[in-house]
Amino acid sequence: MSSSSWRTLLLRIGDKSPEYGPSSDFKDHIETCFGVLRRELEHSETEILEFLLTCAEQLPHKIPFYGTLIGLINLENEDFVKKLVDKTQSKFQDALDTGNCNGIRILLRLMTVMMCSKALQPSSLVDVFETFLSSAATTVDEEKGNPLWQPCADFYIACILSCLPWGGAELVEQIPEDIERVMVGIEAYLSIRKHTSDNGLSFFENVDEIERDLNNKDFLEDLWDRVQVLSSNGWKVESVPRPHLSFEAQLVAGKSHEFGTINCSNLPTMSSVPSDVSFGKEKHEAELKYPQRIRRLNIFPSSKMEDMQPIDRFVVEEYLLDVLFYFNGSRKECASFMVGLPVTFRYEYLMAETIFSQLLMLPQPPFKPVYYTLVIIDLCKALPGAFPAVVAGAVRALFEKIADLDMECRTRLILWFSHHLSNFQFIWPWEEWAYVLDLPRWAPQRVFVQEVLEREVRLSYWDKVKQSIENAPGLEELLPPKGGPNFNLGAENGKENNEQLLSGQLNEMVKGKAPVREIISWIEESVFPNNSLEVTLRVVVQTLLNIGSKSFTHLITVLERYGQVISKICPDEDKQIMLIAEVGSFWKSNTQMTAIAIDRMMGYRLVSNLAIVRWVFSEENVEQFHMSDRPWEVLRNAVSKTYNRISDLRKEILSLKRNISSAEVAVNEAKAEVDAAASKLALVDGEPVIGENPAMLNRLKSHAEKAQEELVSIQESVEAKEALLGRATDENEALFLLLFKSFSNVLTDRLPKGSGARSLREWKSAQVEDMAVDPEEPSTMELDNENQIPQNSQSNGGKKNVAYNVGEKEQWCITTLSYVKAFSRQYASEIWAHIEKLDAEVLTEDAPPLFRSAVGFGLRRPVNEA
Amino acid sequence: MASLFKDPAKISAYRDRRFPGNQEEFEHALITSTTVYVGNMSFYTTEEQIYELFSRAGEIKKIIMGLDKNTKTPCGFSFVSYYSREDTEDACKYISGTILDDRPIRVDFDWGFQDGRQWGRGRSGGQVRDEYRTDYDPGRGGYGKLVQKELEVQRHLVDYGTGSLGSFPPVIPSYGGRHGGGHGHGGGYGHGGSRRHGRDYPRKRYRDDDRHHTNEPSKRSSDHESRRNSDHESRPQEKNPRFRESGDSDDDEEDDRKRRG
Repeated sequence: MSSSSWRTLLLRIGDKSPEYGPSSDFKDHIETCFGVLRRELEHSETEILEFLLTCAEQLPHKIPFYGTLIGLINLENEDFVKKLVDKTQSKFQDALDTGNCNGIRILLRLMTVMMCSKALQPSSLVDVFETFLSSAATTVDEEKGNPLWQPCADFYIACILSCLPWGGAELVEQIPEDIERVMVGIEAYLSIRKHTSDNGLSFFENVDEIERDLNNKDFLEDLWDRVQVLSSNGWKVESVPRPHLSFEAQLVAGKSHEFGTINCSNLPTMSSVPSDVSFGKEKHEAELKYPQRIRRLNIFPSSKMEDMQPIDRFVVEEYLLDVLFYFNGSRKECASFMVGLPVTFRYEYLMAETIFSQLLMLPQPPFKPVYYTLVIIDLCKALPGAFPAVVAGAVRALFEKIADLDMECRTRLILWFSHHLSNFQFIWPWEEWAYVLDLPRWAPQRVFVQEVLEREVRLSYWDKVKQSIENAPGLEELLPPKGGPNFNLGAENGKENNEQLLSGQLNEMVKGKAPVREIISWIEESVFPNNSLEVTLRVVVQTLLNIGSKSFTHLITVLERYGQVISKICPDEDKQIMLIAEVGSFWKSNTQMTAIAIDRMMGYRLVSNLAIVRWVFSEENVEQFHMSDRPWEVLRNAVSKTYNRISDLRKEILSLKRNISSAEVAVNEAKAEVDAAASKLALVDGEPVIGENPAMLNRLKSHAEKAQEELVSIQESVEAKEALLGRATDENEALFLLLFKSFSNVLTDRLPKGSGARSLREWKSAQVEDMAVDPEEPSTMELDNENQIPQNSQSNGGKKNVAYNVGEKEQWCITTLSYVKAFSRQYASEIWAHIEKLDAEVLTEDAPPLFRSAVGFGLRRPVNEA
Repeated sequence: MASLFKDPAKISAYRDRRFPGNQEEFEHALITSTTVYVGNMSFYTTEEQIYELFSRAGEIKKIIMGLDKNTKTPCGFSFVSYYSREDTEDACKYISGTILDDRPIRVDFDWGFQDGRQWGRGRSGGQVRDEYRTDYDPGRGGYGKLVQKELEVQRHLVDYGTGSLGSFPPVIPSYGGRHGGGHGHGGGYGHGGSRRHGRDYPRKRYRDDDRHHTNEPSKRSSDHESRRNSDHESRPQEKNPRFRESGDSDDDEEDDRKRRG
């Protein structure tokens, strides 16, 4: 047997694979694998130990097999298993020290199955549980602990509960009193912790959701309930394989090992001068460090969902999330493990819900959304008969509820869906959604269709997308214009007006590679004195944009070469706004090019992020807020570019600082060498001679000097970068102040005065009800309800799909507030850094309460306003 | 993340024989590069489509279209560079093998773009793979270049549109469906051209340019050229910055002096 063979057997255990022949019987797999391992142990002990642990960590759904193998090895080679237990302990402690949540959770599961296979003492496991329990209880204690870190405490408790599907039965059988004590402890913990209600992070915003949220269990309460049901079912779990039972007769003879004491890391103590702001910041930090792993997204009606026990849903979600996490980047394995989990029931619907819950997860999914796009594509290919229909069902269900879907989720859904369809020939039953044409232009479903089509055109081309909607030809109305540039300074029929003449001249100069200096003098001498600033700006900007209009590369080439001409004409923010407006008008039929051009101009600092924000909040764009993604895309780009640059700087500084430490070591070593050489050479022929070998000493000295210079040079770059970071931070602060001030202003103008609602949801729901009972309202009831019901309503919430009855003004407010929340949430960490200033200057008593609460939800700020 | 199924030592199976260095240096270049090579593209795919797709992995620094040496038109590959290594890795992980313009594209780490690499390396100007290909691929100009030449010869031997040609899809050799003068717009030829007729609009002008300049470097490529030439001048500023630092923005006079000097 070659050494790769035992590795492959370990990797492939439990899978349908050639390594194991035709047998899919777990017992056969374990026997085969064990047979090979026992022979290999003699010469590859260390490798096997390492590899076995790596497999368990990265293929956690196979842990029961690994546990049984360990149990079988333990019967013959106690020493090996002792080493393995010790190694597990040190890894576990390491994971605790570094806050590696996945490591902690998975190693605890491995320990649980080792206990099932008699390789680990049950009491050792209970010791770990009790350490977790006491740490959690201390954390949430107002006096001794720091309740802001409840996310960490909750995480520890969730870890204990998560082990029970794998070993609850064994624990209850072997040490019933101990486990009872643990359960009582958990119940006590649940009674003192606070229910987490995180409105800022829920996928939907409407009344149903609020009510559900109030009655609803948070993640930990929900898991507790599932475990209660499990316990009352006699700890039977269909989704967890229990291969150790097949070997029970042998395994009982094994000697169980002990697991040493572990320590939970110390959490920061409560700040001595508590304030709302410091509370909020620290709570935010804790939530970032111990994030909730999943937020369930209920897409499908329960009638469609696979029928399974409550605990099975939890277990399968665990499997899926772990495969998504550990096989990110390994396409083939990811898809094949996702579809081949060791469970006896079907789970396509649950799989789709789980992936969508990650794709739409707030504030951020664990990976870039494009990863989940790829996974969904691969699963559609792996399960062509089943999965595409489930995905389509999910899209339909989400489309039904799109008006309530969080704005950030909507944007992600648009990007995903267009990309997904581009991988499947743009085939979609658009006729089902043709009715959106009869909805008002601001109706979220209509806007959704319009934006999906826009993105499809970007990924492909206009005619192709037009062809794809031929079953609903009316939807052509929602396609973007065939996006050519809108250059209006070209000569027509030989006749040229003044602007066209100037444009022609500039064009010739650029074609003739005239240097920047020459063009600037031409403008200063021949254009500006005889024309207004508006004309000068229009001629120069339109002409240059036109030269750069052929492709992305043409655009950056022209900006690279003639950017200085533009910055000469647009030296301040007001002119830059005119410049952006000119870009918007040149590319009015092509949102992508508008966004790209503005983005690149910001990169070259031809326009500042503040100018972009001011342009986005100009009247013309504000009117589009509820009907198009166009202004929002430009705004998102500007904020994200600012953020990316700050995080680049932070990363650079961090890595330079690491270099400083190694440069310091080098300096000290070089100095030590010089000193050593100097003292060693002191005696020659019994005579004390200093520097007998001056060449050598000089070489060492020069080496030491170089090391010193290197160190100084790194220190200087750190200082330079830190200065840049300081400036970037100031720019960031200015950006967020202006952004929120602008939001506040437009909302103050448009929100109805005296609304009692304190949250967007409350207000929104009130709007919907008002509209429903007021048939005279013209803007909402202009449509005939009967025509609005789609033929094949997939409605699953019991609500009928009716005409969209939210008025334009109300929709504008809803959309804008939802974006306020989305921006606050996405950049919460940056915003928290400037919160004092924001509170003082923007989030004041005068600002609309709905606006302030939207920011608060986004920041997940503890609410204590009355 | 997962190390179990990946051979960490093997970052790319492809070795560019024009890389100026040894295997070790080549691998180092791949491991640190922020550029990806995109292959198996349609000749029709535009930079903006690439931008839309690849920006889903991160902010894009630049895009370089692979061009046919002779016709100066896209010939089915490109380079995309990012600002960060992480985004570059994500582009390889998540975009390779997915569909762009109906084709599964290939995305690989690239050792870094250098001037000259934008040109196809095939004898006929395009990519080598399009020299010998014997299948009919409408997204890449029909048959491979050699087969096209063969067909051309046959066309002269046999009468127009009859006999042996009848068994082939009716493609008349013209490099890259949409770029040959008028190909696909008039007669009954050309799957590629007519299928994509609608696509002409936004790019029409630049195709016109290409046509006018068939004997000299096209407008497009001369832009490519001159842009690159300006690289060699001593410009103090970073090219294609994600976000240029405000302090180093400058007086143009001074900049010009530097350039001249």
